[in-house]
Amino acid sequence: MNSALTEVTPPAHAPRILLVKTALDGHWRGISVVARALRDGGFHVILGGMITGAEIVRAAIDEDVDLVGLNIGGHVGVAERCIAELRAARPELPIFCGGVIAPWAVKRLKALEVEVYPPGSTLEDIVGAARRLTQTTTAV
Amino acid sequence: MVDFLYGEYILNDMERTPATPPLFTTRSGIALKPSYGPEDVPSAHREVMGGRPGEAPYHRGCFPQGYRTKPWRIFQLSGFGKPEDENERIKFLLKNGETGFLMEHDRNTADHLYNVDHPEVVARREDVGMTGAVMQSVRDVAICLDGLPIENTYGHAGGAVVQHAPFALAAYWTVAKRRGIALQNLGGTGQSDFFLTYLGCVTKQQIPTAPGLRLNADIIEFCGEHLPKWVPVSIAGYNGGDTGLNAWQELGAVMANAIEYLDEIQRRGRMDLTSAAYRCGGVNFRTTMEIFEDAAKLRAARKMWHHLLSTRYGITDERALRMRIHIVTSGAAMTYQQPFNNIVRGTLMALSAVLGGTQSLGVSGYDEAISIPSEHAHQMSVRIQQVLAHETNLHAVADPLGGSYYIEAMTAELEQRGWEFCEQIQQHAGFLATLDSGWLHQRARENQVGWFQQEMDGTRPVVGVTAFKDDVGTFEVEGFEGVNDAYEVAQERLAAVRRERHERAATDALKTLAATCRNQDNIMPAMMAALDAEVTLGEIGAVYREAWGDWQTPEVV
Repeated sequence: MNSALTEVTPPAHAPRILLVKTALDGHWRGISVVARALRDGGFHVILGGMITGAEIVRAAIDEDVDLVGLNIGGHVGVAERCIAELRAARPELPIFCGGVIAPWAVKRLKALEVEVYPPGSTLEDIVGAARRLTQTTTAV
Repeated sequence: MVDFLYGEYILNDMERTPATPPLFTTRSGIALKPSYGPEDVPSAHREVMGGRPGEAPYHRGCFPQGYRTKPWRIFQLSGFGKPEDENERIKFLLKNGETGFLMEHDRNTADHLYNVDHPEVVARREDVGMTGAVMQSVRDVAICLDGLPIENTYGHAGGAVVQHAPFALAAYWTVAKRRGIALQNLGGTGQSDFFLTYLGCVTKQQIPTAPGLRLNADIIEFCGEHLPKWVPVSIAGYNGGDTGLNAWQELGAVMANAIEYLDEIQRRGRMDLTSAAYRCGGVNFRTTMEIFEDAAKLRAARKMWHHLLSTRYGITDERALRMRIHIVTSGAAMTYQQPFNNIVRGTLMALSAVLGGTQSLGVSGYDEAISIPSEHAHQMSVRIQQVLAHETNLHAVADPLGGSYYIEAMTAELEQRGWEFCEQIQQHAGFLATLDSGWLHQRARENQVGWFQQEMDGTRPVVGVTAFKDDVGTFEVEGFEGVNDAYEVAQERLAAVRRERHERAATDALKTLAATCRNQDNIMPAMMAALDAEVTLGEIGAVYREAWGDWQTPEVV
């Protein structure tokens, strides 16, 4: 939900994922289902709530995460700026997106080489993507 | 082993061997029999089965003639962009046959009581206007209502979120007063819904539930005195349902919510309880693809309302004992894939609402899972209702499902389970306490996961998403993009209000509002005065936060 930096069951050495909402729209059903699937998939999930681009960068660094998931509930332009800020600060950090994202907005995100999981994506798709995207940063 | 209950085609299409046979249970866990008989209807319910629509306990409907004398209101959520964009869309819908209108305020600003220059909004400036028009002062609301016949059209003023309602209502009423409309003649509705505010769409910053309850009681009392035709608050089980509460949880939680309102009115002792109960009796539920369970849910809801008011509060007035229902069809049932299938889903969910005897209806857009509705999607939602209203004879006979063993058994089952859930909430110290503690969120959470798993593993196929995915159509719904100047225009208008208003009058009105927050007076007169003095949305938010602080969002994972 939207409380700041709630940690979800951290197994040792699990890859760390920061999940945030880019919009000031508190619908939490989607992100909560995804958070639980990622946790059950062995990830250490950090829920950042509804935070701004600058706060996402700070949380990603402070929490030393391996992946950032953006739940986009509003205009894609907000997410694009968050992505730009993250890349400026941590260029190697992978990012993926989910939420109610219109097809035209999906195209804009894909043009930024960000993976997008709109409604209808399976949890297997999302957890699989998280595994793939964290392999390079967490390989021992 | 292959079980062909779905037929071979679907199994192939789903590219899996079916491990699970189809579920003959509703999404709320009620087992369904192959057929129903008299023995399935509990004796207590059988006693009232023979009653007619318009007769207590009203499960068969509130009015003897049903839709013949009271057609359901076509009532669609609408709004985006600048106030003039929203005004244009509302006019479009009314021209197309909508029979009331709902104003949506921009979530970023309205729900949080932020002006557009608040850092949280500036950080998300592209979002501004995507979920409703930006309305920071009475001037903005006047633009949104320009040319709309509010003197004889039922309007929803916005204020779905509790802390926003006094502003939204006072702004609407101020515009009406300035047009010379007497408030005692003004019809319409507010919402101030706890399900939305504290459960379904939790904002980043909002007042705690206790002052929220105080605001709602203030609104109810103020309307009782000054706006007899206005529905002051509307409990919206919809927002609990689409967050994850099932049918009987939605029923039980709505009753528990009503208990909070009416107990508070009773405790304050300033208002006649019958009058308050009548004003709380406009309730919003959702219908889903469980079309019979949900039609039965509306029947159970009316019966439960009658029971709650007559037994707990000793109310005897027939007008108060009749619950009036607004239905919004489930947004969560709409799919992103093959969005034209959603026109069928919208039709079925609307049918469920009409079979259940709703008084007003909003059908979610076929592009619901993609964006806010395009003009075309909005028009289709109206057309669905018009086809049902004018081509089917659905309006000719009240409670057409009445007497069906299945529907009557389902009505009784939902009523019983609904009361059990209401009792559980009471055992957890009441509705507000279950919002504060996250207990209600946990109940929604359990269903969210279960329902999603059932859809994804094929137990409950979703056409076009998990089954029958081939699509020969060339249509693609790109999603409505809104307008791109809402933020800039809102900044300019905010600056103009600050520049042009009588600063001393605004400051004084704001001080009075702040003082009222700290005492026991009704907040609405001070709010009306503040808006008349052109106090802005964000200033009101700052006053609230100073007086009451922020709600602590429960952690639910």
